[in-house]
Amino acid sequence: MSNQVYALALDNTLREIKNVCPDVTNIFVFEENAQTIAKDDETAQETINKTVDAFQAIKAKSETAGGLEAVTIQGSEGRVNIASINNFYLATVTSKEADEKFVNSLTRILIPTVVKLVDQIQPAPTRSNEPAITAELELVQESIKEPIQEPVEYAYQEETVEEVEHAEQPEEETPTVEETVAEELIESVKEVQAESVEENGLVLPEPPVTQVIVESLGRLQFKSDTVRVDNSVVEQWKDLYGDRIIQEVELDALNGKTIRCKFSPIKDSKYQGKGVIQIPDKIQATMETSKGKLVMVKPVVE
Amino acid sequence: MAKKKRSISETMTTVLVEDNAPLVEAIEEEQVSQDLATRLSGICERPGVLGFILRDTTTATINLKEPEKIVDYALLTSQVLESSQEISQMFNLGEFGSALIEGKDMKTLCFVLDKNMVNIFMEKNVDHADVLNSVRQ
Repeated sequence: MSNQVYALALDNTLREIKNVCPDVTNIFVFEENAQTIAKDDETAQETINKTVDAFQAIKAKSETAGGLEAVTIQGSEGRVNIASINNFYLATVTSKEADEKFVNSLTRILIPTVVKLVDQIQPAPTRSNEPAITAELELVQESIKEPIQEPVEYAYQEETVEEVEHAEQPEEETPTVEETVAEELIESVKEVQAESVEENGLVLPEPPVTQVIVESLGRLQFKSDTVRVDNSVVEQWKDLYGDRIIQEVELDALNGKTIRCKFSPIKDSKYQGKGVIQIPDKIQATMETSKGKLVMVKPVVE
Repeated sequence: MAKKKRSISETMTTVLVEDNAPLVEAIEEEQVSQDLATRLSGICERPGVLGFILRDTTTATINLKEPEKIVDYALLTSQVLESSQEISQMFNLGEFGSALIEGKDMKTLCFVLDKNMVNIFMEKNVDHADVLNSVRQ
């Protein structure tokens, strides 16, 4: 995928980060090859170039540390942090008043989320060979479900079934920063895709690869050769491919085992958007995976 | 028997110092460096701390558990100081406080203390903030 899509998505994300946290004075994203992907309006390109040069100079000497992951420079008036996120580097400059933990939580969750969303919506041939997604992305999945909030002390008590059911009812909430960014991102990517279709004719996008958590389907399931996929994932596929027929999915376990099988969406609304896949025991055994583990799923488009 | 009187003469050394200020400063600096080196050696005993390089204006004290990496570490720390100061100036960070370089295997903490450049190398799981506080106390 060209960097244009990432740039578009990350530009919006950086803007949102600065809106949420005004103590972030400068923020930009660059690639391994020093190319700037996205930046805020206040940061001059020349400043970015010099920063990247300085960073690359440290990186060149850091082989003894096993490669460079992050640099943090603390001054009397502020702080600069340059951290490796996915295949990019994110540079964040904050004033001394900034809450370091908050900024780190915000940036290290939002940026990977956006990059992952872009990858899911239109996976990049150049990035599809990345190693299996690590614990960082597990954190990202959690973060999509839970908005950032202040710690709350919970009082545990026995709950009746009714209370539990009531608690599970979705409430009307104001959208979180992640949701806003995700919506904007999806719109942006759709625009880019539409432009691409206009310019080049109909192009069928690469099947998106989605990471899901394995749930057991139990031994009493009707069809032992069919997996059930989170309906929100299936809806994404429908949005992407329209009338194209998708009857099967390809599953990749993190141990390298791959299997192709039939699928159906999970109709139970409590699993909606949970990122789960229900797999019969037989298929789990074939893939050498089990409940709670992660697998990658992608549609087989006819 | 009458006691004999003894004459005791003391030998005194006269030192002529034209301007004693730099000498006193140098001695004080040396003392500070020695104290710092002692403190850093204590920190090196902690699990996960791999060693340190302490540089003042004229000398360097090196204590590394992997002496064969001295050159690599020295080059890295020099570059960190240079690049950090450059970045600090660009973004108006004020006076340089510290730099933390996190690699895949280890991390390096660089800071200036009493005109001494201190570099501490440690494993990734070591609490660098605690190390920094211990040295600065």
